[in-house]
Amino acid sequence: MGEACVIGSVIEIFAGFLGVGLCAVCSALYLWKRERRYDLVAHASAEIGVLFTALTIAAGAIWGKPTWGAWWTWDARLTTALILWFIFGGYLMIRGWAGARGARAAAVIAIIGVLDIPLIHWSAVLLRTLHPRPTVFRAAGPDLPSSFLYILLFNIGAFLLTYLVLWSVRVRQESQRARLAELEMV
Amino acid sequence: MGYVAAAYVAVAVLFAGYAWTLIARQRDLRRRIARARGADSG
Repeated sequence: MGEACVIGSVIEIFAGFLGVGLCAVCSALYLWKRERRYDLVAHASAEIGVLFTALTIAAGAIWGKPTWGAWWTWDARLTTALILWFIFGGYLMIRGWAGARGARAAAVIAIIGVLDIPLIHWSAVLLRTLHPRPTVFRAAGPDLPSSFLYILLFNIGAFLLTYLVLWSVRVRQESQRARLAELEMV
Repeated sequence: MGYVAAAYVAVAVLFAGYAWTLIARQRDLRRRIARARGADSG
């Protein structure tokens, strides 16, 4: 069960990073080109990113309880992951309240927020934390039993596929919402 | 380990809840677009 929880936490953060990373890239493109389609993709990606970051934090807490004896601790990696969730939660709140009018402010928040991703990664290397040091993405190669590594890679693929399905549905919905706004203005 | 299983069920419910939200939002959008198109053509 502990292994399942730690695999869950690791694979979900990949999908979470993909969501918020794509949101930041599309936000930068939106600020540069001012094309609405980039904003639509950024908004859709942020929502999926927040979902998977929430799942990461939840799965990490479930792993932490039997391993550390606590659901939550103010460990550097947990705290930086929570900050990422708050930043992109704020992004979604701005979009919810201001709609398309808040697109520029939200884009700036997304670009600033994505800077938290390297902090999350390096927090376990540079700071004293309860988290183990990286065992997969390291210069000397993965330091995991091959059976564990294959399960991890298979699950990362499965979750990225899940991400892709949810993301495509969400992007289509944003396009339909834009179309609806046009129809209602006519 | 019972609480861990319960917590995992909670995560599954979170995921299912989001999927349900997406489906409900999709239905609502389709209905509103159909209504707006009807008003536009009528």
